[in-house]
Amino acid sequence: METEGAHPVRRGKVARPQQEWNWIIAVYLYLAGMGAGSFIIGMLIHWTGVAFNPLPVPSIEFLGVRFDLAKIPIFWGPVMVSIGAPFLILDLGIKWRFFYACLNPRASWVARGFIILSIFIVFGLALFVKSLFSFKWLYPESGLWLIPEGIAFVFAFATALYTGILLKATKSVPLWNTPLLPLLFLASALSTGSMSIILSTLATGLISYDAGAMKMLTAGEQIFILTEGIILYLFFSRRYKASEQGKDSVRLLVTGKLRFVFWQGIILLGFVFPIVLEWISKHYQNPALLFIAGISLLTGGFFLRLGILQAGIKDQIPMQRLMEMQHELIQNSKSEYRNPKQIRISKI
Amino acid sequence: MEQKVLVVDQEKCTGCRQCELVCSVYHTGASNPSRSRVRVVKWEQEGLYLPMTCNHCEQAYCVEVCPTKACHREPEKDNRVIIDKNLCIGCRTCIIACPFGQPFFDHKERVTVKCDYCDGDPQCVAFCNVRAISYVDADESNRLKRREFANKIADLLKQARG
Repeated sequence: METEGAHPVRRGKVARPQQEWNWIIAVYLYLAGMGAGSFIIGMLIHWTGVAFNPLPVPSIEFLGVRFDLAKIPIFWGPVMVSIGAPFLILDLGIKWRFFYACLNPRASWVARGFIILSIFIVFGLALFVKSLFSFKWLYPESGLWLIPEGIAFVFAFATALYTGILLKATKSVPLWNTPLLPLLFLASALSTGSMSIILSTLATGLISYDAGAMKMLTAGEQIFILTEGIILYLFFSRRYKASEQGKDSVRLLVTGKLRFVFWQGIILLGFVFPIVLEWISKHYQNPALLFIAGISLLTGGFFLRLGILQAGIKDQIPMQRLMEMQHELIQNSKSEYRNPKQIRISKI
Repeated sequence: MEQKVLVVDQEKCTGCRQCELVCSVYHTGASNPSRSRVRVVKWEQEGLYLPMTCNHCEQAYCVEVCPTKACHREPEKDNRVIIDKNLCIGCRTCIIACPFGQPFFDHKERVTVKCDYCDGDPQCVAFCNVRAISYVDADESNRLKRREFANKIADLLKQARG
């Protein structure tokens, strides 16, 4: 009679994802991604002038200063990033030392990220403030503004990519160690960013629901969601085949402990609801549905970061594998090389 | 100067965790194994105990990812990798990057800590009753490791052949 195997915890076969980086980092990844994405889209709108040409410019007078509200929705990305960046500091062991984090840019991506974020926040906020106050002495129509705009645009891309590179650079987590992760986060940044612009322009009434510009924005938005979906599929299928721990990570998300984050959070809120609701909203000309779709997509974007962060399982070192093989610590495996007993049976 | 390394013989280890205690007392003054730089991994059912400590890798991921250069190598002192407590910001990137699960986050000091060979006199070696951990010249350790590895492969082959 076969004896019952030990509890999976004792056998070390329970997936143990990393616990060091938690939801605080996920909030940062999300806000930085969304902010950078919305700035990229906003900048394209600003340069091409698709959306805001003949609108009556809404403005308010406060303490004798005129605030120009027309471009807030397309320039509010840097504000999002500057709200997200303190979350990184919040996660540190000793918070006041955060400015040390730029000391090793030659090797460390955390240090490079600190510099990228700082430059983007400074330039982005400067442009945001410039769009808010239309001071004559700033020459807002001058062509020279293209230089800071160009710099901020490039660093917005860098910020969106960096959120993925930060995870990729740790190397020892197979789920994260792929160039597809920065791409996935970039695609997600663009989809959540453009959705945040759609929501804010709709809410402030800057673009009406029937305007051609809105149709273009929603069409672009749907292309971003589809691209993100394709990259997400490629990401998970490649990671599943990458290594034992990559497979464990994907299993943890798809069928394991994190399945609610994956199916309800990432797939349903991030992909199914937005696509279906946007289609219905277009069909029935209902802007309220577009709102729900947008909020659902933005929540899905957060769950995407949270899920990928929480499913990070470290690579196994060769020594560990050797110990497990020698002491037959692994059972119930499909691979014949993982259990010497099975090899013996197959030889007989 | 001859370079020295820590060598662990898991066959000898009895899992008494004396090393964890002395490490914690030496570095923190507290008799608290959760603040130790060496950890004994246990497979109780198999009777298998493995003291795990930093390997001071040649290509150390923790050094690569550290944003502040707090985690750095000291070639003049046994080529060890150490963390400067005064520079560490506690971002824990090194903990995620290390494949051996090594640097530990000290919740009292709010920084990451790791084995520093106790400045040349490792306490885990001095207090290990069964000599499971030793502090030997790097060349010597290679010879031991080669023999140990060859034995393991031989055992596996024997098992596989039935």
